Amino acid sequence: MVGSNRKRIDVIDKVLGKPVFAGDMKADRLLFAVVYRSPRPHAWIKSIDVSGALAQPGIVKVITGEDIPGKKRFGVIKKDQPCLAEGRVRYVGEPILLIVGETENAARKAMSSVKIHFEDIEAIRDPFTAEKSGTLIHEDGNLLGHRKVIKGNVERGFAESDVIVEHTYSTTWLDHGFMETEAGVGYLDDAGRIVVVSSTQNIHYKMKEISRVLGISEDMVRVIQSTTGGGFGGKLDVTVELFLALAVYYTKRPVMMRFTREESFVSNTKRHPLYIEYKTGAKKDGSIQAVKVTIIGDTGPYISYGETVCLRVAVHSTGPYEVPNVHADSRMFYTNNPVCGAMRGFGVPQLAFAHESQMDAVARILNMDPLDIRLKNGLRKGSSTATSQILHDSVGFIDTLKKIEPFWRERKKSSHTSGFGIGCMFYGCGNTAISNPAKCHLRLTEDGKIALHSGVCEIGQGSDTILWQILLETLKIDEKNVVLVRGDTDTSSDVGSTSASRQTYISGKAVYEAARKLNRYLDEKGYYRGRSLGDICEEAMTENNVIFDGYFDPPTTQLDKETSEGAPYATYAFATHMTEVEVDDKTGVCLVKRVHAAHDVGRAVNPRLVKGQVYGGVAMGIGLALMEEFIPGKSESLDNYYMPTSMDMPEIEVFIVEDEEPTGPFGAKGVGEPALIPQAASIINGIQDAVGVKPSQLPCHIERLKKLIEDKKSERRQEP
Amino acid sequence: MLPDFASVIPESKEDALAYLSSLKSAKIFAGGTDLLVKMRRGESYSHIVDITGIHDLKVISDHDEMINIGALSTHYEISVNQIISEKALSLAQACGWVGSPAIRNMGTIGGNLVNASPAADSLAPLLIHDADVVLESKDGTRRMRLEDFILAPYKTDIQPHEILTFITIKGLPGYREGYKRVTKRAAWAISRLSIAWAIQEKGGFYKDVKLAIGSCTPMPFRPRKVEDSLKDRAKDEKTIQVAVGEIIDEIIKVSGMRPSFVYKIPVVKALLEDILKG
Repeated sequence: MVGSNRKRIDVIDKVLGKPVFAGDMKADRLLFAVVYRSPRPHAWIKSIDVSGALAQPGIVKVITGEDIPGKKRFGVIKKDQPCLAEGRVRYVGEPILLIVGETENAARKAMSSVKIHFEDIEAIRDPFTAEKSGTLIHEDGNLLGHRKVIKGNVERGFAESDVIVEHTYSTTWLDHGFMETEAGVGYLDDAGRIVVVSSTQNIHYKMKEISRVLGISEDMVRVIQSTTGGGFGGKLDVTVELFLALAVYYTKRPVMMRFTREESFVSNTKRHPLYIEYKTGAKKDGSIQAVKVTIIGDTGPYISYGETVCLRVAVHSTGPYEVPNVHADSRMFYTNNPVCGAMRGFGVPQLAFAHESQMDAVARILNMDPLDIRLKNGLRKGSSTATSQILHDSVGFIDTLKKIEPFWRERKKSSHTSGFGIGCMFYGCGNTAISNPAKCHLRLTEDGKIALHSGVCEIGQGSDTILWQILLETLKIDEKNVVLVRGDTDTSSDVGSTSASRQTYISGKAVYEAARKLNRYLDEKGYYRGRSLGDICEEAMTENNVIFDGYFDPPTTQLDKETSEGAPYATYAFATHMTEVEVDDKTGVCLVKRVHAAHDVGRAVNPRLVKGQVYGGVAMGIGLALMEEFIPGKSESLDNYYMPTSMDMPEIEVFIVEDEEPTGPFGAKGVGEPALIPQAASIINGIQDAVGVKPSQLPCHIERLKKLIEDKKSERRQEP
Repeated sequence: MLPDFASVIPESKEDALAYLSSLKSAKIFAGGTDLLVKMRRGESYSHIVDITGIHDLKVISDHDEMINIGALSTHYEISVNQIISEKALSLAQACGWVGSPAIRNMGTIGGNLVNASPAADSLAPLLIHDADVVLESKDGTRRMRLEDFILAPYKTDIQPHEILTFITIKGLPGYREGYKRVTKRAAWAISRLSIAWAIQEKGGFYKDVKLAIGSCTPMPFRPRKVEDSLKDRAKDEKTIQVAVGEIIDEIIKVSGMRPSFVYKIPVVKALLEDILKG
């Protein structure tokens, strides 16, 4: 079972169009709620007049921040974000009012009758202004977080280096662009509890937030995950859930919300724009001696996952290389731009662009092959990371390079403007330096089956299938005896979020642990010697022993406050991508032609699903490298925000490296984010190989690339 | 969510024209790939006349050099039509690049012209084929040059009771012809730049050169002066350099120095050089 390309357990239903997405749900007397959002980036709200909206036909209720019965603020890390604005707005799109109508049309129409008087405050549009400005977005200043990673003595490292390479890099906002926009339905159940069914990556977190905001106990709230059409981090923060809960609380009727793409664009969190100053010192033989990185990020006006990104980028700033002297300084500033949060990789794809560009730059100066310099410096068993964590197990990085090596050595340019680039990465699976456990349980049922109760949010990546395979492998049981009970806070325990490439590794391990217990029990009761499962279930009922739970929390340590020394993750994934590009130097168009991708996943529970993740990661990497750019105030929808289509996709060959992780289920770790992280970097390095220019800003879209090519031409002309 | 509206689906041109003359604020549905987007954004019309069922307006035919294109021909139909491929290759290519397969199956060339987006892919090829449009109403028929029909971006000379029924173009068999566009992604993209060309050469001399450059000027630009000056000129590096330089000067004269020209001008220059070299 584990290691097989088992068909996804949801695939037939999905192909047949059977799953019900939240936006398709129906209910009697269903109301529709819409959010009135701030048109201003930074302003005091002087007055709100909703009488016009209330007078519109079909309007049932207008809810303001003052109507919130419990805590008025929410947040995944810290509770800093107003559910509905409290006298002040801090970004375009900030929710101010919730309008509940009999129909979607009625609710949307009433929006134009709301009258709000704003008094503008100076808007802070970039982190550099935020640092210096006297305008404070929050009382305690515009700096959200400051994290450092210090190892060895970076100045001595530079002094001992033969070459020093220094460049700056910048990246911009990206939207997740999940196919299904945010949606949900809320209602009261027979017991008078608030039920919210929504498209989400974390049901238990949403349940807790609803309980806080409504000021009711958690057992009065139930959150169910509807079939979810993609997340990529954008459905980790609260989207529709608190609004639905509030609307149900006040109207006692079922309520639906369904964002248009335009609403999704203006309201959802974005990938953090980062400014990265990167200095690398190396010896003539190519060994990296020192890395100094200064990162300045724009987190928008609320925390969301800003602190997480701030720390994760510092911890990953060297890339998958052993560097004896490191100084990484990461600061995240509040601005009046969109709220930035979680998006596939938590900032590490941006850093990979920087550290991989640096590796190529050092190799170029030393006249070394880009693959050789990576083989020389790459993390391996016994290596010490930037946080001085010694890697003992499952360090398959060098193997990923070796998988790519034959293709790299035999590469041949197909034209004078084609090129090849390598991108590498390492990525800590699970949350950074904090406990992030998963809990699940198995239950022997009345009808003689085994039920897997899972709180894992399947968002399209295949986690249900992975858990299924782990369960069947451990129990050595036919799948007709097993049922999956999933995605419901009433029937499952908290597994943490579907994020940080952690579900296969952490929840998979919890399933494994539970299955081991049940496996021993079934063995004792004679199942493997031919006794029927029905019999055993009956006996278990009489013994009142039907629940077998599993728990796993990856072993991490806290990090030193000053140096971040410690073990922030129990295990890391590693990857190498090699990308062939073809640049049209006349137009600046870069085509991605072929990708060879090697991933150390510990153990591929389902190789086909691993490959699926990589294909999707490559697509997203093409967007990050070449076209996706969210411009606040301008990017309104997919009409003017370009994401790659199937026509932009290259041929992709995936190589799986299995350096087993001893703490993972059957040795598995994660691949969700690693699939994306090195891709943009390998494209950018391919562009440099193709046309000899060094992109320092993402996306390197046609106009930026053409300008780099033109600038290089005029530099050449100026040379005598 | 679309606003409420009433619709009729006439089966003949005559019925459609009768509806249009009797209805006050009627909007023609000729594929809907622009209209539905506008309606979702809040534009509302009391009556929609869906003309996509009128078979006569889907026919593509040719008589001698002239090609008659029914305005309801879809982008897809034009892209694979044999007459168009033989005598107006740039138009077939351009229609093959419009939007996505779904848009090419729904959108029509007539609708494309009445919408009059300056970035419409069909415009530049139609201009090098000296396209005329035929406009019909209950009161009569008129014909005008495409260049005169489009008054400004998104603005045409069509009158409330008129239907754009046909487009007639001059076939250019034997010309070296093509359409090139530059986009930010491989497909389903608005052209950042486009060029249609049809060139006749003989013995190292240009005999007839037709060029249209899209997305640099309010309407795709035909550099007629340069086209004339290339007639009977030797095809050599110097001729090409001079001609391209003049075209770019003319574009800047028409549009002024736009910020986007930092990108567009060097690209147009490089592409025109390639096209003239062949």
